[in-house]
Amino acid sequence: MESEQRSNRQDRIFRSLLRLFPFDFRSDYGRDMQHTFADQRRDAQRAGAPGVLRLWWETLRGIFTTAPREHWEMLRQDAGYALRMMRKNPGFTMVVVLTLALGIGANTAIFSVINGVLLRPLPYENGNDLVRLRQQAPKAGFDDVSFSVKEIQDYTQQNSTLAGLAEYHSMYFTFYGQGEAQRLQVGVVSANFFDVMGVKPVLGRLFLQGEDKVGAEPVLVLTYGYWKNVMGGDPQAVGKTFEMNDKVHTVIGVLPPLPDYPDANQMFMPSSSCPFRSSQRVVENRNGRMLTVFARRKSGVDNQKVGADLNVIASHLEAQYPDSYPKRDGYAMNVLPILQEMTGGARLTFLILLGTAGLVLLLTCANVANLTLSRQIRREQELAIRATLGASLARVLRQLMTESTILALVGGGLGLLVAAAGTSMLVRFAARFTPRTGDIGINSTVLLFTFGISVATGILFGAIPALASRQQLAAALSHGGGRNSGSLARHRMRNMLVTAQVAISFILLIGAGLMLRSVAKLQEVDPGFHPANVLSSTVSLSFTKYKPQEALAFYEKLLDTLSNRPGVVSAAVSMTVPLDGQMGSMDGQIQIQGRPVSEGTPAPRVDFRIVSPGYFKTMGIPLLRGRDFTSADRVESDMVAIINSSLAAHDFPNSDPIGQRVSADQGKQWATIVGVVGDVRQYGLNRAPTDELYVPMALSPMRGANVLIRTQGNPLLMNKEIAHEVHAIDPQQPVTRMLTLEQIRSEWLASPRLTAMLIAIFAGLALVITLAGISGVMALAVSQRTREIGIRMALGATRESVLRMVLWQGMVLVAIGLVIGFAGAPPLTRMMKDLLFGVQSTDPLTFLAVSLMVLAVAAGACFVPSRRAASVDPMVALRSE
Amino acid sequence: MAAKKRDAIEYLPLTPAEFHFLLALTDGDKHAYAIMKDVARLTDGSVRLSAGTLYGLVRRFVNEGMIVEKTERPAAALDDERRRYYRLTDFGREVAVAEAERLEKLLALPRAQRLLARTRAV
Repeated sequence: MESEQRSNRQDRIFRSLLRLFPFDFRSDYGRDMQHTFADQRRDAQRAGAPGVLRLWWETLRGIFTTAPREHWEMLRQDAGYALRMMRKNPGFTMVVVLTLALGIGANTAIFSVINGVLLRPLPYENGNDLVRLRQQAPKAGFDDVSFSVKEIQDYTQQNSTLAGLAEYHSMYFTFYGQGEAQRLQVGVVSANFFDVMGVKPVLGRLFLQGEDKVGAEPVLVLTYGYWKNVMGGDPQAVGKTFEMNDKVHTVIGVLPPLPDYPDANQMFMPSSSCPFRSSQRVVENRNGRMLTVFARRKSGVDNQKVGADLNVIASHLEAQYPDSYPKRDGYAMNVLPILQEMTGGARLTFLILLGTAGLVLLLTCANVANLTLSRQIRREQELAIRATLGASLARVLRQLMTESTILALVGGGLGLLVAAAGTSMLVRFAARFTPRTGDIGINSTVLLFTFGISVATGILFGAIPALASRQQLAAALSHGGGRNSGSLARHRMRNMLVTAQVAISFILLIGAGLMLRSVAKLQEVDPGFHPANVLSSTVSLSFTKYKPQEALAFYEKLLDTLSNRPGVVSAAVSMTVPLDGQMGSMDGQIQIQGRPVSEGTPAPRVDFRIVSPGYFKTMGIPLLRGRDFTSADRVESDMVAIINSSLAAHDFPNSDPIGQRVSADQGKQWATIVGVVGDVRQYGLNRAPTDELYVPMALSPMRGANVLIRTQGNPLLMNKEIAHEVHAIDPQQPVTRMLTLEQIRSEWLASPRLTAMLIAIFAGLALVITLAGISGVMALAVSQRTREIGIRMALGATRESVLRMVLWQGMVLVAIGLVIGFAGAPPLTRMMKDLLFGVQSTDPLTFLAVSLMVLAVAAGACFVPSRRAASVDPMVALRSE
Repeated sequence: MAAKKRDAIEYLPLTPAEFHFLLALTDGDKHAYAIMKDVARLTDGSVRLSAGTLYGLVRRFVNEGMIVEKTERPAAALDDERRRYYRLTDFGREVAVAEAERLEKLLALPRAQRLLARTRAV
């Protein structure tokens, strides 16, 4: 009994293993194999356990070698047949392959960006352990405050969760000694910066401990980009020297390719080489905050623990130094993973683009499925022949799926070429959102993705028509074929596919419409200044060459010369230019005289702007009250300031701010408000103006500034004049970044504009494919109903009524698609609400406009086949088969 | 139009399993299990066909025209109705003969003979 049970169990196991073979093989030989195995088993059991074990060893080995071979052989036959069919129908093959290439190519392209930016590990050792520390004073409205040298020392000494902290800031310096004077952006860091970041050099070495101490030999590390592009990848770069700030700096090493993070630096130097950073004033001042801090977590410690650890230190500092950390500000520490910092701005945009491309691919599948379904009607004779040769339904379905998958793989291969061709454009697009563009490209992960979606696409657009045609295929196979003009199931499937395409196109068009309206709204935003005919040039003076008063004299002389040039309406100097993120702005808190700051109430927070007289006139910023700065505003005992109308509204709602006094250093010095100007959107057209306090250049001389001139004609024609005047004062002074304010504004608008354009291209493509789908289905329906139409006309139907009937049937499908699209669009467009400006994600005007557009173009697509139906000759139709 | 004549040599070399399968059919029609047992007997157990391997060969040889499934059944007393019987076709015989000739030539190489002679002497 027991042995019989064991025998039955063994036979059952063998039967289960037979499922590894292809269906056809099992149908032909499965029963025989079971009998044969049962015979072998009986023989083996006579030999005892060793015989049974040997049998199973041989059986399993045989199955696991033969089954894959059988599958492969079947696939080889199917693939050979599919390729022959493709060659026999070049028109169909080309249409399908090209359509799929566009759909798959678009997805591959966007995925290559997502892979390079969001998915690949950071190019730093254990990059997930890297964080940026942020000081915050949330109650005062500050969520990201720089660090002072003293603060970095405190956190370094007192923390227990970080393996290392490193400081960083970036400045522009003028370098001499390798050709022309170059103004370069330089990362100024502590000596342990690259150790903390986990970076190794490709040439030479990086900073050593002690090289950031005052008095250390000045050294430089080149970025890979600078070394490759400017020095031609010179293998002898190590040891070369540059002169900067009257010191000779020696190149000690070259970095590997890294993202332009935190900034697009061209070189790095230790903090001892920066005269500003290494001055006693900055080193000793707890409130001299200008540094960014990066840190590496200790192994096994998460961000929460680090945050908790740092907040304990923060509370100690708050208690120890109440002047530096007023209790009312709510001083706290925050930790941000570097990956998030680098990619956070890009994530939403790229995921929406991937979703858009995915919808286009779905739509492409629906279109190709419809084409395939239409073609299957013509293939029933071929299937009848195959039935005669012994093919089963399963075999035929497998064959059809193989054909569709091969078409999709060919389309995918072509799509890869499409994506590769677009890589450099995509890299430029991605660079607007993230510094992580170095890894964007076609690599093994992207190839695997393309392969995967090609196979999935093939299965999807092959399965839909195969399943819809199952009944017809079975009938053709059992009866040996015969003319079949199409069944209800197929007809319904075709209509469903068209409806699905209309719905998807509608959703994509809504997305595009919302983005385009958003961009239009952004373009209408009044930036607060008049950008036309204004040229900005960056003239950053050397710290060691120009003391503050010398820098002031330089700019004043330059302005004097420029203002008197023909064609120049006015000239000014400013530390920052609106919408241009190149120079950092300063922010801080102010006190208003006569209004002591009470406990628990945060002091007013402002952005400080240092400008010369004539700035508001040059920029076209309206002077609303009081007066502009003049050249007389240079007496420290009689300081003046100008505020914007936002600050006036917030802090002087019921009084005239003119004549009131404010202080930025807790009452040590006071400035009298002499004017109120209009608000300017400094940080973006989509961001509300902040409270601003303008300070005259003469009272706060700067060495990094932008020279602005308003001209009568084209300001770009003046760029040589500006350079000439600058060099007349200092022949070695570089003049860089010459852009008109229109160009700066346009550059700011470029990111949302490009995103909208990409989505619009996808949506346009989707609409074209859908219209082709509608047209094709309608044409097929008309050709299949020719006889019926002939009968109707013979019985008295007019051409107009036939046209209306056919048109109506097409438009019903479109209308159903629109209804589905209407329901599906709002939850999807809600995902893009953070990308929109001035328009809701369910904007009724956009929905209405897109609906009308789709109805109109769909009616056009339906009209041609409808007209053909109406022009049928009843006599010809009645005679036709 | 005449079908393209296939050359038996195109199928060489055969694996030991393939060769002995065809060999087992040279002395008469057999069902698959009998082929399996004959192959084991002829090779003293060195070539053992599992069910999976056996029917893989059956399918391939049927497709290539080297064996056919017999439609006539043997006498009732000898017949096992579960079984399907296979016969070696002329082409299958050609392939088996070609393989045997190939093996013979291999053994006829002078070095191989001297080697065999040395082995025998020991």
